[in-house]
Amino acid sequence: MPKNPIHILLADDDEDDRLFFKEAFQEIKINTSVKMVNDGVELMNHLAQDNIQLPHILFLDLNMPRKNGIDCLLEIKQLAHLKDIAIAIYSTSSSEKDIEATFIQGANVYIKKPSDFNTLKKILEQVITVNWQYQTSGLNRDNYLLSL
Amino acid sequence: MKIQFIKSILNSAFFLKALFVVSIFMLLYISSVSYKHTKALNESSDLLVHSYKIQYQLEHVLSMLKDAETGQRGFIITRNPVFLKPYKSVEDQIYASFIKIKALTIVDQQQQANLDSLLKLIYARLDLMELSLESIRKNTVTESQLNENLLAGKTVMDKIRNQINKMEDLEISYFNEHQKKYEREVIFSPVSTFIFAIFSLLVFILAFIKINKDLSVLRKSNTELMITNESIQHAEVIGEFYISQWNLVTGELTYSDNLYRLLGCEPQSFKPSIENFLKFVHPEDEAIGRDAADNILIHGKTYPHYYRIIRTDGELRYFMSTGKFISDDKSKMHIGIGKDITDYHLSNVALEERNHELEQSIKELESFNRVASHDLQEPLRKIQTFISRITDNDKVNLSEQGKEYISRIDSSAHKMRILIDDLLLFSRTNKAEKIFEKTDLNIVLENANQELAHDIEEKNAVIQSVQLPILNVIAFQIQQLFVNLIGNALKYSKPDVAPIIKIECEKLAARDYPDFITDTRKKYFKISISDNGMGFDQQYAEKIFILFHRLHHTTEYVGTGIGLSICKKIAENHNGFIVAEGKPGIGASFFVYLPV
Repeated sequence: MPKNPIHILLADDDEDDRLFFKEAFQEIKINTSVKMVNDGVELMNHLAQDNIQLPHILFLDLNMPRKNGIDCLLEIKQLAHLKDIAIAIYSTSSSEKDIEATFIQGANVYIKKPSDFNTLKKILEQVITVNWQYQTSGLNRDNYLLSL
Repeated sequence: MKIQFIKSILNSAFFLKALFVVSIFMLLYISSVSYKHTKALNESSDLLVHSYKIQYQLEHVLSMLKDAETGQRGFIITRNPVFLKPYKSVEDQIYASFIKIKALTIVDQQQQANLDSLLKLIYARLDLMELSLESIRKNTVTESQLNENLLAGKTVMDKIRNQINKMEDLEISYFNEHQKKYEREVIFSPVSTFIFAIFSLLVFILAFIKINKDLSVLRKSNTELMITNESIQHAEVIGEFYISQWNLVTGELTYSDNLYRLLGCEPQSFKPSIENFLKFVHPEDEAIGRDAADNILIHGKTYPHYYRIIRTDGELRYFMSTGKFISDDKSKMHIGIGKDITDYHLSNVALEERNHELEQSIKELESFNRVASHDLQEPLRKIQTFISRITDNDKVNLSEQGKEYISRIDSSAHKMRILIDDLLLFSRTNKAEKIFEKTDLNIVLENANQELAHDIEEKNAVIQSVQLPILNVIAFQIQQLFVNLIGNALKYSKPDVAPIIKIECEKLAARDYPDFITDTRKKYFKISISDNGMGFDQQYAEKIFILFHRLHHTTEYVGTGIGLSICKKIAENHNGFIVAEGKPGIGASFFVYLPV
């Protein structure tokens, strides 16, 4: 592959979801490197290490033990070297409250976990092909919740 | 204006008082004039009597002298001594009269002088008479001598008459002089007295009318006051409150009877004072009462405060007191009102407990909701995802029966997802923040149609809609309402007939209000959504809005029985109504009434 891989990080406590996530990226024909952590604490520890490859996109589950997604989001946005990472919320919940809160805290996109594997593949493909650095300026509330 | 002004003057107490003072002075004047008048009259009459007495005595003297003269003449002619009888007593009688006149004129120098000269003349006359008689008795008298004597007697007699006339005239002149003076003094008095008397009379009549009027007003206000007082006393007993009046200048404090009753005492059984009242206040609340009193007295602040009372029978009661300052130039009062709020307090406590329980169960419901939304969805989503993995990858390896089972599992999972989604929607319709905004219903309908675009296309449905109004609504809920009702029409269409769905709207005239709209002051829009589908029996028109109530078997039509319940909830959220009409085989109509 000529291009450098897109570095992807997923923080999700659910083993099945991690499996779907991994398998989806295996089937997507894009050069990606997927790294996974099991919860918020593990995520923050991972990001605190020196000399690691920072992800281009972080997929963040909200409902996690020890430290939940919202808290991680808050912390990341306060750290200068992490705040530019594109963040995709990746949750079962589609409650307005969660959507509103994460949007305000600066997440880039909100993905409701789909119940169909093909849909999942399409969503992930779409998310990683967007240039989030460029997209940030046009961010608005209406297209924040990703729908296919 | 002027008449009003005059009336107000006439009615003023000051005017009345001034009038009273004036009339009192007038009465004093009238009394003094009358007194003077009477006194003068008395004097006149005294003077008259006096002058008559003198005249009488003088006439008496003259008459005596005449008697004596007549006797003398008789004697001279007849020489019969019997004629001399009156003459003998005359001197004594004249002297007696003289003494009387002397006494009557004792203060009058002129009359005394006159009297003295009269006496001299009388004596002169009597001497002459004696001389004539002596000469006759002695028979020494000659014709010419007698003649001379008699002539001399006549002359003296004339002088006496003159003197008497002079004295009488003098008395008359005295009387006249007095009369003139009197008349001069009282000439105005009868008219002025009369006028003043009339005036005073008028003042008194006016005063009487005014006092009478005031009295009736006073009596009326007195009656009203009595009624008010009575009412307050009854009100206090019925309403379980009391009134206190605290004069902040003198420190005088009064408590209404009901305060004592509320404390379980006989009315006015102790002296009203803050200290005495505080004896009944629960020790823990004493500071509250003391602070309230201090604030009133020192800082001029009054506020509602709550405290407990221990009644004389030991029962604990809850009280609330508050008050108001009333002040004028002279005094500053605090009117306090206190109320036994025990019943209210206890029911409030019970209510708070109920409220707490309710909050608790709402919290439980919310966590149940969370379970439904998140925890139930999660395994379901995974089941569905795994099924999609099997159908994608391993379909070829499955037997026909296996494929059939997988398909049934998928269908069941799908139904469960719809059920969970609808339940969530229903609870969200209940709970969501109700933000009303001016919304163009045409745009809302357009959004709803877009949401249903797939089904509309699939069924070849025609949607006919008229111009809809702009209303103050919760936009996303109305959109949901349209989605559910149009979705329903699509779902229950006849299999071989393309659905025609009509959306109409009219502003209702009050006379067209259906029975269930009781508030006829509001204006309503009636939005109807009717179709040419399967319809339903009118007997189910109300049941279809009940949660989970379905008219069809689940195998015939996919549905959860929640959609119309959500519609009803949305209509209620907008203070509106929704009703349905159905004719089996012809179609169904839904009517949504939304207030303007």
